[in-house]
Amino acid sequence: MENLDAARLQMAFTLIFHIVFACIGMVMPFFMVVSHYKWLKTRDKIYLTLTKSWQKGVAIFFVTGAVSGTALSFELGLLWPEFMKHAGPIIGMPFSLEGAAFFVEAIALGFYLYGWNKLPEKFHWFTGIIIGLSGVASGILVVAANGWMNSPTGFDYIDGQFLNIDPVKAMLNPAWFTQALHMTLAAFTATGFAVAGIHAFQVYKKRKVALHKKAFKIAITFGAIAAILQPISGDISAKDIAKRQPVKLAAMEAHYHTEKGAPLYIGGVVDTKTQEVKYKIALPGMLSFLAFGDFDAEVKGLNDFPEDERPNVAIVHYAFQIMVGIGTLLLFAGILYFISLKRKKWFNNKYWLLFVFLAPMGFIALEAGWIVTEVGRQPWIIHKIMRTKDAVTPMPGIVFSFYMYVAVYLTLAIAVTWLMLRQIKVLNNSNH
Amino acid sequence: MLYVVLFFLIFSLYLYVVLGGADYGAGIVELFSSEENQKITKKTIYRVMGPVWEANHIWIIILIVILWIAFPAYYNIMVVNLHIPLTIVLLGVTLRGVAFVFRHYDAVIDNSQKLYDGMFKISSLITPIFLGMVFGALIGGKIKIVDDISTLTFYEAFIRPWFNVFSILVGLFFAALCAFLSSVLLIGESEKEVSKIYIRKANIATVIVFIVGLITFIYGYVFEHVFVQDFLQNNYALTFMLLSGGLLIPLRITIRKGRRVLSRFFAGLQVFLILLAALVSHFPDIIVTETSSISLLENIAPDSVIKVLGISLIIGGAIILPGLFHLLKSFKMIKILEQHNNRSI
Repeated sequence: MENLDAARLQMAFTLIFHIVFACIGMVMPFFMVVSHYKWLKTRDKIYLTLTKSWQKGVAIFFVTGAVSGTALSFELGLLWPEFMKHAGPIIGMPFSLEGAAFFVEAIALGFYLYGWNKLPEKFHWFTGIIIGLSGVASGILVVAANGWMNSPTGFDYIDGQFLNIDPVKAMLNPAWFTQALHMTLAAFTATGFAVAGIHAFQVYKKRKVALHKKAFKIAITFGAIAAILQPISGDISAKDIAKRQPVKLAAMEAHYHTEKGAPLYIGGVVDTKTQEVKYKIALPGMLSFLAFGDFDAEVKGLNDFPEDERPNVAIVHYAFQIMVGIGTLLLFAGILYFISLKRKKWFNNKYWLLFVFLAPMGFIALEAGWIVTEVGRQPWIIHKIMRTKDAVTPMPGIVFSFYMYVAVYLTLAIAVTWLMLRQIKVLNNSNH
Repeated sequence: MLYVVLFFLIFSLYLYVVLGGADYGAGIVELFSSEENQKITKKTIYRVMGPVWEANHIWIIILIVILWIAFPAYYNIMVVNLHIPLTIVLLGVTLRGVAFVFRHYDAVIDNSQKLYDGMFKISSLITPIFLGMVFGALIGGKIKIVDDISTLTFYEAFIRPWFNVFSILVGLFFAALCAFLSSVLLIGESEKEVSKIYIRKANIATVIVFIVGLITFIYGYVFEHVFVQDFLQNNYALTFMLLSGGLLIPLRITIRKGRRVLSRFFAGLQVFLILLAALVSHFPDIIVTETSSISLLENIAPDSVIKVLGISLIIGGAIILPGLFHLLKSFKMIKILEQHNNRSI
């Protein structure tokens, strides 16, 4: 394996893991404080048991998120030293603010976890809110750095030199808002459906039904609302990418030939040789409409771009299809949940099984979405400024480091899953 | 503004060495304890470190972020030439953090605890050794700076800078220092009988620190090591070093009299003086390479970047430091409360 490929795989692999840990660590505190709030309001012991059980989940995921995040902060430099040498000072600001937000989160978590029966009740609950808010702030700030790679601003690039650096402008890059909005909603959707699915499974198995129904309700409410809002954010993102990174949009849609009134492809198999998409459903004019709000607008095709500036079309196209497909599915599931609140008789075994099936879907969509944006940015590490292959470390043998990370992270994933299963088991055997 | 950034750089380096160091040291102390004492130590570590250990380790992230933003060229040398030891450090940080949480948050207590404990103790020892080796490599004068790194052999570029006697000695020195810090911390956190164990540990750690330090100097003197020679000729460095050694006397007195806060202050001050001595002997040339030294101050990011970073650090510091202080203080109070209630945990 080439060094570049190994480095890209290692980065992708560690990010895929970190994203899961980070999202759960960022969203679960909100479930926890809602349950905590209900405990304080109703003094129903079930909510206390649930809060304490979720808090352990938060602690475990916070730490796995924190250590994988520490690893990433080093990996950026270890794998892409040339990138960090130039980009580090420019996009350092969101990272330093993220460090601050993360610090606040760690402090708040310290108060929350160890503050039971020691801190004043309301202040204790409030530290839970701080965990959630600073977690979301960290996420949004980190996305700013990724947004900059897609839409580099805040410097002048003259003769290979980065001059007149303006870190504030770099942080407020045009891609930031759309990406951060999309990611935050995705985190809530994915975590909401995942946690709800786990509790739905317990209800389905008739274990501690009262407790797990309450847990399901809290988690799915967050997930459903986010899933229903997500298409709006998706639309903003699509229009933004059409303007800023037309080649990425073309790859997402496997759209080879520039045309007016471009059709939207649903599904299909990409044939990169003949530049065709087979077995697809084509909706005439829809791509033009979605990208520019006009059925007749011209959408640039891949062939308008030099061959060495195009991403891997098949990967980007399939990932995009998966993301949109699952997003739509979860949107309907979210609506279904809100309707079912009025129709109690819907809560039968099939209903619970449906949500069990949906549990991993949000995260699959979220990872697919990141594959769209990251693979879609290639061959650039900084859009139109620096190529990924020019940023990679000169140290050979990265492939071994990649294997090591695969081994460690897979073990971690298995360990965390196993721990969660043990938590649930103990929860089911508890008195409340 | 550059001085604000430099202040935070050294400030977070120091806090990481002291807080993170005490944290690593806890695992080292546990590793070198009898089976019964391990159980006591494990409980004490959880009580003392539990609320704060995550915060302790964020200092290294702050440190690394300041380095890459403000001193990109310096950071570049680190991540390219010291790729291997840094990767091992990361592995250690990951396994250690995970093991700590697993052993305290696993809902079921069974044999898997042994695995978590083992992971925690071993990585607590390995990580600071490699961290020390990285620092040793930066001042060790074995890094070769060339225009095209591919002209060097793999060994010259990626192994020799850190895999040498001097770096390994610095690594051992740092690990012993961690054990020393942690022992002093644990003395104040335990009952009279138990505290004797930690006093003994603190003594052993002090002796090891001293011996490793001495060997480093003798080795450096005999083999004409750049850093050691400069260190020995630098009056500031020597003064700091002697002061740090002299502080052992008030440290011993305060420990004997049971003055917890004061004894920690002296231990912290000792480490600060050691760090200062190591930094000052070449300052501002913080990386010592084979051919020349690389000045921290000559390889800085543009003014606009430093200005914004300085402001962010001041704002961040204003938010974080009071919170952190409050956290440390709250749980000290709680500990006293717990003693009154015969301790529930």
